[in-house]
Order: sequence, then C-alpha cells, then structure tokens
Amino acid sequence: MNERETRMPGEEGGDGRVAGLLGDAASRLTPRGDPDELVGRVLSRGTDRLFSCDSPLGEIYAAVGERGVRFVGRASSPDEFARRYRERFGRLLSWGTDGATRGLAGRVAAALAGERVEVQADLSGTTPFQRRVLEVVAGIPRGEVRPYAWVAREAGSPKASRAVGTVMATNPVPLLVPCHRVVKNDGTTGSYAFGAGEKIGLLRGEGVPVEEISGSPYLATPTTGIFCHATCRNARRIQPENRRRFRSSQAATKAGFRPCKVCRPVVAG
Amino acid sequence: MDDGLGKGNDLGSPDPLALRLAGGDPAAPRELVERHHAEIYRYARVLLRDTPAAEDAVQEAFSKAFDALGRYSGERIGAIRLRPWLYRITLNVVRNAWRDGRFEVPVAETPEGDDGRCGVVPGVIGADEEAWMDVLWALGRLSERQRVAVSLRYLEDLPYAGISAATGWPENTCKTLVRRGIGHLGALLSDGSDEKEAIR
Repeated sequence: MNERETRMPGEEGGDGRVAGLLGDAASRLTPRGDPDELVGRVLSRGTDRLFSCDSPLGEIYAAVGERGVRFVGRASSPDEFARRYRERFGRLLSWGTDGATRGLAGRVAAALAGERVEVQADLSGTTPFQRRVLEVVAGIPRGEVRPYAWVAREAGSPKASRAVGTVMATNPVPLLVPCHRVVKNDGTTGSYAFGAGEKIGLLRGEGVPVEEISGSPYLATPTTGIFCHATCRNARRIQPENRRRFRSSQAATKAGFRPCKVCRPVVAG
Repeated sequence: MDDGLGKGNDLGSPDPLALRLAGGDPAAPRELVERHHAEIYRYARVLLRDTPAAEDAVQEAFSKAFDALGRYSGERIGAIRLRPWLYRITLNVVRNAWRDGRFEVPVAETPEGDDGRCGVVPGVIGADEEAWMDVLWALGRLSERQRVAVSLRYLEDLPYAGISAATGWPENTCKTLVRRGIGHLGALLSDGSDEKEAIR
C-alpha cells in the first residue's frame, strides 16, 4: 500500500516514546482464534456462495444463499455471473470452498443429470405469483411436458398463460425448476432463455418425443374414454393401435373423451 | 457511504482490489477480509476495550461493507478507497455499540490484557508488556475523538488524508486531535509511573 506516510520527527509533540508504545501495542493486538475460521464466518454472513458444475447445457454457475440455490445460469466467466447476480440480488458472490457448498454442488450436478436428488431452491426474491408458477413447474416430471395454459390454471390464475411465459423467461433457477418442460399450447416447444434449440435438445435428452407431440399434444384411448397430455405416464401406456391424437383439449372433449385425473388437462369453458 | 476522499488526496491510484470487487471477481471478497480483518479488529478492540465486543464489531463491519457493495454500482465500487472506508464503517458500528451501551465496560473493571487474548500470564508480565498495556489503558481515557484520531494515526498508521476519510473530519482537525491526544497520553503515562520509569 502506498498510503503510508513517513512520520515527521516531533510530529507528535515531541513525545516519541508514546508513539513507540502505541506501535508496540498495535503489533500485539491481534485477533484470537483461527483466522481461516474467522474469514469463513465473515464471508458466509456477508456474501452468497458461487460454484460451477456440469449440466446438460454444459458448464453452469450457481449462487447459493443461506436458504438454498438462488440463481443458476451460463456466463462467459465467473466474474460476469457474479456481476449479474449482484445487480439482480444485491449480494456479492464469493467462491464456495466450504464443505457444505461442495456437497451441494455435487447434489446439483446429480439432479441436473436426472438423478432423484433433492436440491433446495430459494425463491424468496420472487413475487407470490411467480413463486406459485415456479412451484407448479418444479413438479413437472422428467420426460413430460405441460402447456403454458395448464401451468396458469394449476397456479390458480387460469387466464395468465402469457404471464406464465414471462415467469419462465426470468426463472432464476432454470434446470432446477425445469421451465424447459413448459411448452406452447399446441405442443410445439417454443422459446427458451438459453435458446429454442437448447430446449429441444434438453427435452430429447429427457426422452420427450418432441416431433410426435408437436401439433398434437393430447392423446386419448377409446378403451377408457380418457384423454391425457401426450407425455403423461398414463398416455404412454396406450397401445399404439388405440392412440387418438388431438390438437386441443376442446377437440378431445368434443369427440367424447374425458380428461385424465392424473395429468388434468385444461378444458375450456 | 462515500469514502470521503476528494481530488488531490495522497492515497494513490484506485485500489486494484476495489476494481476486482467491481468486476465481480469471486475471489475478491475473501481477499478483502483477509487483508483487513486484523487491523479492523485492532481498531475496534482499542475503541471498545473488550475482546468479544471487538470480534462482534469485525463481523458487523464486514457485513455492512458487503451489504453496501451489493447495492453499489460497479463504477462506485471501483472508486472506493477500501481501507479508510472500512475504518469508517467500523467507527459507525462502534458508535452504535457505545450508544446501545452494549459494550461499554468501566475502565476500572476491565484491566487490559485480562481477557487472555495474547496469552499474557499474570505474574510473568515483563516491563514491556506493562508498558504497551498502559498505553492502551491511557488511550481509553482520551475523549472519543482523540482516541479515534490517535488510533488511526499510530495504531493503524493511516496518513491524515486517510484519517479524514475514515472519520469525515477535516484533515486539520485530525492533526489537532492527534497532537492533543498524544500530549494527553504522555501526561497520563507519566502520572504515578515512576516505578515503571525506573524499570525502563
């Protein structure tokens, strides 16, 4: 540091002895305890933790607060990710080198790879509506997709399809809350914060028959008289010769089918 | 919380660590704490005259610093003179503690060094140990402003521009406070300390 200035002789009113004693005292007043532990405590209170891990989208960064994962995304560098985080959440990020964060990083990587691992997401920075929407989306199983209108209805705001789209676009924890599993009402995959192509790739990787459901997102079977979202686990059990495809739930209802009680397709009116 | 340094200060060019904090470098917060926690502790310890209280103050000062850094724009962060800025935050934390009466312990009941902090064993204290503990005791007898100014100048080795930045007081006021504070310390230490002088 170049901010030290030389003390002038006699500056302290001729009492160099006092100055010397103060310097001596300064060298002896050191914090007790383990400095690493102290630094760790200060950092865990004052900053949120950053780690990177593998994901189906390549290397991603994740920010963790006291109550769970708050932000997930891709970035050109950790610095860029931390800057975006600071602007959005008003907190600094420091590397999560502690055992708890390393353990969480492993669980996040496993969850993103499709393992059934519980990862706590912290959605406290969102509005009540956003949170309801994200919680609904978090419940869409791997390998299945649901339309925007369904998410809106499940979140208690049946007319808010477009608002659901906005929530998906600003999802703070993509992949953990699988917004890529929300598709357009006609069954086409639609847009994605990381690119439409990435969304198709992710869904294919999870076993979603993307081409098959595009334009015909509902499947019915005459054996039970029930129609489902095409990726519903019940729909997948329908024998190929019994499959009836529908572009909309209205069309399926009109043809005399009733909605599945498991995947609960939206029926207008 | 402005760092309080206008143009023409003599504290040099922007701090590279401030620029790294501004740029989002996730290694920078740790470096900030590692670089400054010992001196922040020393400062709080001298002002509060209590070891656990000083440790709490270090935690709180860094918390406040990080909260502020989270709110500031990158440009503003990059311009901060971190050292005086941290001292200023610490002084606010210490003042809050004084005001709450949380940490105010009468001098007579708080013999310096009694907390076992630096492993001083009663009975084997040499003349040197006594001398530096005496000066801390005397420092505790100064007025608040003199104690702050003298600590920053002689324990923390800050230049007057830095003391001014860390307190918000004009530089000349800081010089006066330091001069008078040192004078008082000299008087306090020579009062009834003839035996010590004999040992020395």
